[in-house]
Amino acid sequence: MASRSSALARPPAFRSVGRSILLTLPIALWSLLMFTPSFRQAGRDRHIGALLVILFMTTLFFLMMRTGETYRWRRIFFVALGFLFPFGFIAALVAERGTMSIPISRMVSGDTPFCFMVTPSLLLPAAFARTIIFPGSILPTASNPHSIAIMIGIWFAMTLVLGKAWCSYGCFFGGIEEGFAAFAKRRRLHRLITRFGAQLRLIPWAILVFVVLASAALFEPVYCMWLCPFKAVTEFPAVRNVTTAIQMGIFVALFVGLVVVLPFLTKKRTQCGFFCPFGAFQSIFNKINLFEIRFNREKCVDCTLCQTTCPTVALSKESIRDGKTLLNCMKCGACVDVCKKGAAVWHLKGTAVAVKPERARLLFLYGAWAMATMMGGSILANSVATMVHWLPGK
Amino acid sequence: MRARILSILAYTGAALTLLVAVCVPFVLMGAFTNVVAHAGLHIDAVYSGGAVARTVQRDGYRIVVYQPVQSRLLERIEPFVQIVFEPADSLPAHVSEEIDLDGDGRPDVRVSFNLPADPNAPLRGDVTALNKTYVSLANVGGESFSRMVVRTGNKIVVRVPLNKELGR
Repeated sequence: MASRSSALARPPAFRSVGRSILLTLPIALWSLLMFTPSFRQAGRDRHIGALLVILFMTTLFFLMMRTGETYRWRRIFFVALGFLFPFGFIAALVAERGTMSIPISRMVSGDTPFCFMVTPSLLLPAAFARTIIFPGSILPTASNPHSIAIMIGIWFAMTLVLGKAWCSYGCFFGGIEEGFAAFAKRRRLHRLITRFGAQLRLIPWAILVFVVLASAALFEPVYCMWLCPFKAVTEFPAVRNVTTAIQMGIFVALFVGLVVVLPFLTKKRTQCGFFCPFGAFQSIFNKINLFEIRFNREKCVDCTLCQTTCPTVALSKESIRDGKTLLNCMKCGACVDVCKKGAAVWHLKGTAVAVKPERARLLFLYGAWAMATMMGGSILANSVATMVHWLPGK
Repeated sequence: MRARILSILAYTGAALTLLVAVCVPFVLMGAFTNVVAHAGLHIDAVYSGGAVARTVQRDGYRIVVYQPVQSRLLERIEPFVQIVFEPADSLPAHVSEEIDLDGDGRPDVRVSFNLPADPNAPLRGDVTALNKTYVSLANVGGESFSRMVVRTGNKIVVRVPLNKELGR
């Protein structure tokens, strides 16, 4: 496993406890700041949820500082987020409407919570017809606080900080498949993925182009209506005819295939790497983000361990030879942690490669973890509060 | 020298990114939300029902008639007109109304439904077209975006399909 190999790659104590605590302090304070409103709200469940998440996020950051590893600790957060988000979300839906399905009455009243995944589908109709092709509300309402304006505002603000790292620190879906990938004992289909890596990487772009054009032509969010695997674990249009039954079948098939089975077989985030059009869209923002992973060619021995480990096939032999990752790198840190030679390094664009990689890592991680705590942490706190609420005897 | 300038710019950029991160929950989220909210965008008429044409006041409740919604480009939607009865809790137990949809002074459809006492109970109703512009619906609930009699909060939303040949 990647985590085991990475544990071997570095000495167990990368930094002293005192220095690690000092470096963790800003994140601890940030976590407290983010969850102070939860403590002002009534309800012991919420207080417990907030407290546990503050401890969780701060401890993971401390371990990142102490061990010098990023991927292993980030993955714990991300998998927890991926598995707990549907739990909290479904619980809220069932409590409110008794079902996971969205009845048509909720769609026409603008009560569908907005999901950032639909953003690319909205672009052309919004630009040319000033129309949002989503059954939500632009401004928040009492029945739908997750309005389109708020969710796009959050996504764009976070994207300025994270770029494509959104897919490793911000997305509340990616953790599900990362979790199933982590369960796998060994890597299967590896040769196939390596052989067709270049073609597989193009699929999300092709789907993105199709989804954007088809959404504009059909005036409906095509990805949401037909292609989103995560509809299977969040909410979906109520099955009321053959079309909606087919849609539901597609959602379940894509979820089982791309999010459960293939990640388990390949140890890759197959939905993220080979399907997700939003991920492809988010890759564009890697161009404007200052942080990246680079390869120190003087240290690199071309063992391709990093390429094998990369969860989204964001490395090729050519890119490693050029000392760079591909555009779809989501800065999860797996390649850096696994590299026994220390050739894969965090890098700040504009500075010399491998001169102060830890400084680049720290600068990146502070922003990324702050965003992860703000959004993912809030989701985790909400889900934990729901679990505490449901505890027997309460 | 160039490398030094680039390095200074890079660290300045990194510091700005951190500043942006700190500003996200306090300033930026709200700022971007306001930009989207005030961009002059509107929800597609297929979901919102479109623009209001006129309101008819009845005893204790009102009937809001919307403008016809037509499909665009390859949109897979049957053209329809939305009618809203509100507030639902002021409606009689049985509603049967003849409504003028096109504003020519003559009724175009008759909408009838029984309002269940429980707001969460499924609602079904009938629409009888009184001329060829509209399509009659029998015992309809939330079948499609163009054919429905549903309750949303304190409103009853009725959508009547337009005859494809005559509706445009």
